[in-house]
Amino acid sequence: MNALHVAINDLRILFKDRGQLMYVFLIPLAFIFGISMAVPPLELGDEPARLPVVNLDPGGEASQALIDGLNADGKVKVELYEQDEAQGLLENRQILNLLTIPAGFSEDTAAGRPVTLQLLNHPNADDTTTELLLRAINGVAQVSSLQAQLIAGLSQMGDMQATGSAGSQVFTPERNVAQAQSQFERSKTAPLVVVVKTQPQALGEAIQNPSWVQQNIPGYTIIMVFGISVITALSIYNEKKLGSFRRLLAAPISKAALLAGKMLSNYAMALILIAVMFAVSILLMPLLGLERVTLGNDPLAFVLVSLLLALCSTSFGVLIAAITRTEGQISAISSIGIWLMGFLGGCLLPPFVLEFMGLSAISKAVPQYWAITAYQDLMVRGRGLADITTPLLALLAFSAIFFAIGVWRLKFD
Amino acid sequence: MAAILAVENLVKKYGESTVVKGISFSVEEGEVFGLLGPNGAGKTQTISMLTGVIPPTSGTARIGGYDITTQMDKVKRLNGLVPQDLALYPTLSARANLNFFGRIYGLGGKELRERVDDVLRIVALTDRADQVIDKYSGGMKRRVNIAAGLVHLPKLLFLDEPTVGVDPQSRNYIFESVMSLNRERGMSIVYTSHYMEEVEVLCNRAAVIDQGQIIALDTIKNLIEMLGGGIIHIGLQQVDDALLAQLAALPAVKRATIAPQPAAPPPAKGEEAGIAPAPAYTIPAQGAGTIVKIEAEHSQQALLNLISFFSERDIPIVSLEILEPNLESVFLHLTGKKLRE
Repeated sequence: MNALHVAINDLRILFKDRGQLMYVFLIPLAFIFGISMAVPPLELGDEPARLPVVNLDPGGEASQALIDGLNADGKVKVELYEQDEAQGLLENRQILNLLTIPAGFSEDTAAGRPVTLQLLNHPNADDTTTELLLRAINGVAQVSSLQAQLIAGLSQMGDMQATGSAGSQVFTPERNVAQAQSQFERSKTAPLVVVVKTQPQALGEAIQNPSWVQQNIPGYTIIMVFGISVITALSIYNEKKLGSFRRLLAAPISKAALLAGKMLSNYAMALILIAVMFAVSILLMPLLGLERVTLGNDPLAFVLVSLLLALCSTSFGVLIAAITRTEGQISAISSIGIWLMGFLGGCLLPPFVLEFMGLSAISKAVPQYWAITAYQDLMVRGRGLADITTPLLALLAFSAIFFAIGVWRLKFD
Repeated sequence: MAAILAVENLVKKYGESTVVKGISFSVEEGEVFGLLGPNGAGKTQTISMLTGVIPPTSGTARIGGYDITTQMDKVKRLNGLVPQDLALYPTLSARANLNFFGRIYGLGGKELRERVDDVLRIVALTDRADQVIDKYSGGMKRRVNIAAGLVHLPKLLFLDEPTVGVDPQSRNYIFESVMSLNRERGMSIVYTSHYMEEVEVLCNRAAVIDQGQIIALDTIKNLIEMLGGGIIHIGLQQVDDALLAQLAALPAVKRATIAPQPAAPPPAKGEEAGIAPAPAYTIPAQGAGTIVKIEAEHSQQALLNLISFFSERDIPIVSLEILEPNLESVFLHLTGKKLRE
C-alpha cells in the first residue's frame, strides 16, 4: 500500500512539471510525425545495383567476358567474392543476391555444352532489384553464349576445311550463313547458358521491412520510454538530495516498498506513454495523409511487448540511479546513453539498415533492438505471440539484469 | 518518570572511521532533551540510528520499550523525525506534502484531514496550506518541515537543527511550536542544535557531544554552573608557570591555565544576526601571544583584579575576552573549541 502512495506521489509531482511532460510526450510525437512526413520512401536510386558474384571459373575467357559484359551494361556493378565469404554474407543478409559462375564455364560454353548460371536470392531480397539483375545477367549471358556457339560452330567448320578432307569443299558462303542462322535459332530454344533464380530454404522466409511510419512510431516511442527511466533516476537522486528519502526511511515503509513505489510510477508512466504514442499516431497519421498503421493481428502479444518494454525501462531507471552520483551523470546518460542505445537498437534507423552497416551484433546487445523487433514483427509482418518469444525473453532478461545490478548498487542515503 | 528513550553504548563506524563512539543517555517521557555539539560531532548520525535511517554498528537503544535493532517497525510508529534538510517536495503544496507523509504512516480519510489541519495550525500555516512550497520563504519551509514530522502525532520527536537558516519570526514560531507540543501535548523531544541559546531556552537537560562522544550530560543549570562565574581569556606576550600561579591566587579567580588557541572561522552561511553567541566583551588580539584562560568565581570582580595585577606590573594585555557562563562557554571550557569551528 505504501508503495502505491509513493507511486501516486511521484506521478503527481511529474504531472505538475509541464517541462517534463512536454519532453516525454511532445518530443517523440514531433519526431514521429516530422520524420514520417519529411522522409521519402526507401527506393532504388540511379546507382547501379550491386551484383555479388562468385567466379568458380577464374581465368576463363567466357566467365571474364560475362563479368565484363555485366559491368559494361551500367545497370549492375559486379562485386567478386570467394564462395565461403559470399555464403556467410548471404546468410547474414549483408548481401541479398549472389550469382555463381560454375567451374568449367568457359570450357563448356566453348565446347557448346549447356551450362547453368545460378542466381541465389535471399528471402529479403527486393523483387525489383532481383528482376533487374536477372534481366541483366540473361541479356549478357545470351549474347555471350550465342557468340560462343557461333565461334564454336565456325571454328569446327574451319578445322574441317583445314584438314583438306573431301567434305571441305561443301563449306560454301551460303553454307556458313545457314550454319550461323541455325545456331542463332537454336540459342533461342535451347540456350547454351541458362540463368536459374533460386531461393535457398536454409535462408528462411522473407522478412518484410518496415516503412518509415512503421519504423518511427515504435522507434521513438521506445526511445522515450527509456527516457522515462532517466526521470525515475532523477526522482531518486532528488529524493536523496532533498533529504526526503531520509524522512521516508524513518517512516514505517520498507526500502523494498519505497523502491517498488518509485518503479511503479515509472512503469505506469511508460505504459501511458506507449498508449498515447500509438493511439495518437494511429489516429492522426491517416488524417495527415500518411500511411495507416495497425498494431497487427495479435493484440495480446502487443500488450505483452508493451508491458515488458515498460518493465525494462523501469529496471533501467533503477540501474541509472544506482550507478550515478550526480545530476550531471544522469543527464549525460539521458542525452547520450538513451539516444545512442536507441540508434544501436534500430529505433532511429531500421534494424536491417544497421545490419548492412555491420552493427548487427551490437544491436542485439541493447534492449531497444528486441523491443522494436517485437513491435515490427507484430505490426509489419503480421506475426503473433508464438513468433516473438525470443524478443520477449530478451526483454525479460535485460529487465532482470538491470534490476539485479540496480538493487545491488543502489544506496538510499 | 519512565524513559521514553534509553540509549546504550551506541556505535557507528564507517570502515576504520568511528563517528559515534559508544554513547549512552536517556530521555524521560515529556522531557525536551538537547543534543549539543559542533557540526560533525555525531549528532545527526546518532539521530539517524535512533530513527532507523541507518543501522548502528553496535549497541542499541529502546524507544517506548522497543529495541531499535530488532523492533524498528514498532519504533518508527512512535518516532517523528524533522531532518536538518528541507525534506519536502517543493512542487507540491504544504497540504499535499503533509497528506503524503500522513498516508505513509497509515493515516487516511477524515483522520488524515484532521491531523493535517491540526499540524498546519501548530506551525501557523493554515492560510498558506494550499500554496506550492517553492513559493514559501525559508522559514515557512522549515515550519512545513516540522509539520511533516508531526502529522502522525509521534510520542518522541527528533528535531535535527530545525532553525538553520530561518528568519527571527519563523524561529519564534518554531520555538513556540516546540514548547506547545511539549507542554500541551506531552510530546518528548530530542532537540539537536549548535545554537546554545536555543537549547538553554527549550531543553531541560542536554548532552554535549564532541567527536562522537558525550563529554557532559546534565541539566542546563548544572552544566552552566560548571563554569562558576564565567571565563576570561587574556592574551599575553609571555606566560610562565609563575605568572599562572600568581593569577590563580588572585581573589575571585578559581583557576588559570594556558588555553588552546584554535583559529576562529567566519560564521557559517545562514546564521542570522542575533543568534550567534558572542562573548560579553572582546579586545581583539594585536599580534601573536599566549591566551590565558581564567576560570572565575565572579567574572567582573576577577576582571578588575586581573587589570590591576597587570597594570601594577606593566604587563601589556594583547587581547581580552570575557565569556559569561552559558552553554557556549561550557563547550569551550570542555573542548577548548568554539561550537561553530
